[in-house]
Amino acid sequence: MDEAVKSAELVKVYQGKERIEALKGVNVSIRKGELFTLLGPNGAGKTTFLRIISTQLMPTKGDAYVMGHSVLNEPKQVRKYIAVVPQDVATYGNFTPWEYAYYFARLRGMASNEAKQAAGRALKAVDLWDMRSRTCSTLSGGEKKRAIIASVLSSNADVLMLDEPTSGLDAVARRGVWSALRDLVKEGKTILLTTHMMEEAEIVSDRLAIINKGAVIAEGRPDEIKSLTQEKFRVVVEGQLKELSTYGEVAKLGDRNIVYVKTENEALQLLKSTLKKGLRAEASPITLEDVFVKLVGGVNNESR
Amino acid sequence: MLMVIAMISAIPLFFMAMFTGGGMLIHGIVGAMVSTVAFIGVAAGIQDISWDRYVKIREMIVAMPVHPASYAIGIALAPLLLSVPSLLFFGAIATMWGVFSPLTMLWTVAALVLCWAAMSAIGFIISTYLFKASPWLLNNLSNLLGIGLIFIPPVYYPETMLGGLSWISALIPTSNAAGLVRAYLGLLKLPQEVIVVRWLILIVTTVVFVVLTSLKTRWTET
Repeated sequence: MDEAVKSAELVKVYQGKERIEALKGVNVSIRKGELFTLLGPNGAGKTTFLRIISTQLMPTKGDAYVMGHSVLNEPKQVRKYIAVVPQDVATYGNFTPWEYAYYFARLRGMASNEAKQAAGRALKAVDLWDMRSRTCSTLSGGEKKRAIIASVLSSNADVLMLDEPTSGLDAVARRGVWSALRDLVKEGKTILLTTHMMEEAEIVSDRLAIINKGAVIAEGRPDEIKSLTQEKFRVVVEGQLKELSTYGEVAKLGDRNIVYVKTENEALQLLKSTLKKGLRAEASPITLEDVFVKLVGGVNNESR
Repeated sequence: MLMVIAMISAIPLFFMAMFTGGGMLIHGIVGAMVSTVAFIGVAAGIQDISWDRYVKIREMIVAMPVHPASYAIGIALAPLLLSVPSLLFFGAIATMWGVFSPLTMLWTVAALVLCWAAMSAIGFIISTYLFKASPWLLNNLSNLLGIGLIFIPPVYYPETMLGGLSWISALIPTSNAAGLVRAYLGLLKLPQEVIVVRWLILIVTTVVFVVLTSLKTRWTET
């Protein structure tokens, strides 16, 4: 069994004042020892998926398996393998990172000494060992997030699920979390991450799935996802130029345009032509964000 | 917050002292002790679900191999420990008035613990059905449960005031515990066999509610 997590036609419908189909038959497979990212816009169904996989929420239809155990029929078995960091989680101000890591290890049933060792390892992994005795109220946003991550790490679970763990963090703090996550993958942990940040998905993921309106619309390695479009380069042009749309698809961003072209030559041609007219332009390979926007139906596109 | 609840339990004593000239005050002291543990028990689960909107510890724990009953005990035990000073205060007053002895204290503690366990279970079960409830609803529900289970039944006042309906007090964990404590303090005359039956009822209701936390707790959201 190479799969740590597998969902089979997972459907979730929220019945309230209005019926919301949050997941529409999602099939995702996450291999052991990989960092898999569920990438999607707000309201795409990422959190719903994660909450079902982590046995917090019942699906309407379908099932999911964690280490071969059904979340529907064997939730107690599933819980032995997983640890979860929910979205927008806050810390208790008077708790220290050490208490978070230690008590979560104890909740897993570890003996005191074992829990102390696990907490120590977890805090070192997220680079909080030196701050272990400070109360969370004195920590920065990134440090608080890492304290929460340490609490799930100390549990020594095989599959870690993190729902937008870097939302609200600055660039430096975000990189600290990414670094900790990649170290964990190196140690053999399986990580399921949800995010709406393209850069995060591109940098940290081994594989990812793009989810939109409750359905997975693409799945693969970041480079595989990027190869889903014919256009391989983007040229950002500052200012208006009539013939832009003759080069390729144009995305208008106010007074700027992003032109998507298929080859490097086309990108260079466009650069020359825009620079000749005194406009500023910059060419680069397409990003995951470009592909994502295209797949989920981006803004103000003009096709040639 | 729950420590404040313990102090709130003493508020009715002020009115009892004012309106009864102190004659009912010892009944009020018993009521304050029962009210402290009962309110803490019933409010712990409901407050936890409100607080968990921010800290999400419960969400993290649901996804762990932790039994709901263990979690329920944990969240209710912490405020109970914090309320010990209040309980000691009320106990000290009762001792000063000469109604407490070491033996009656033991029976009192036993009744209070059972009452706390039953009320904690009730509060916790209800809280697991309220994942999406508004803070307004949670707040008012907590107050309503307090009124329905603590202030209306004979907790602060002796059950003899209910006349022919006094048997009802045996069915509610709060008033049953209060009646038993009063019986041991000599404030309520109950035959020995009635005391035994009332202990049995208190134990059974507590066990039933605790078992219900295993069977009826909605640990996983639907």
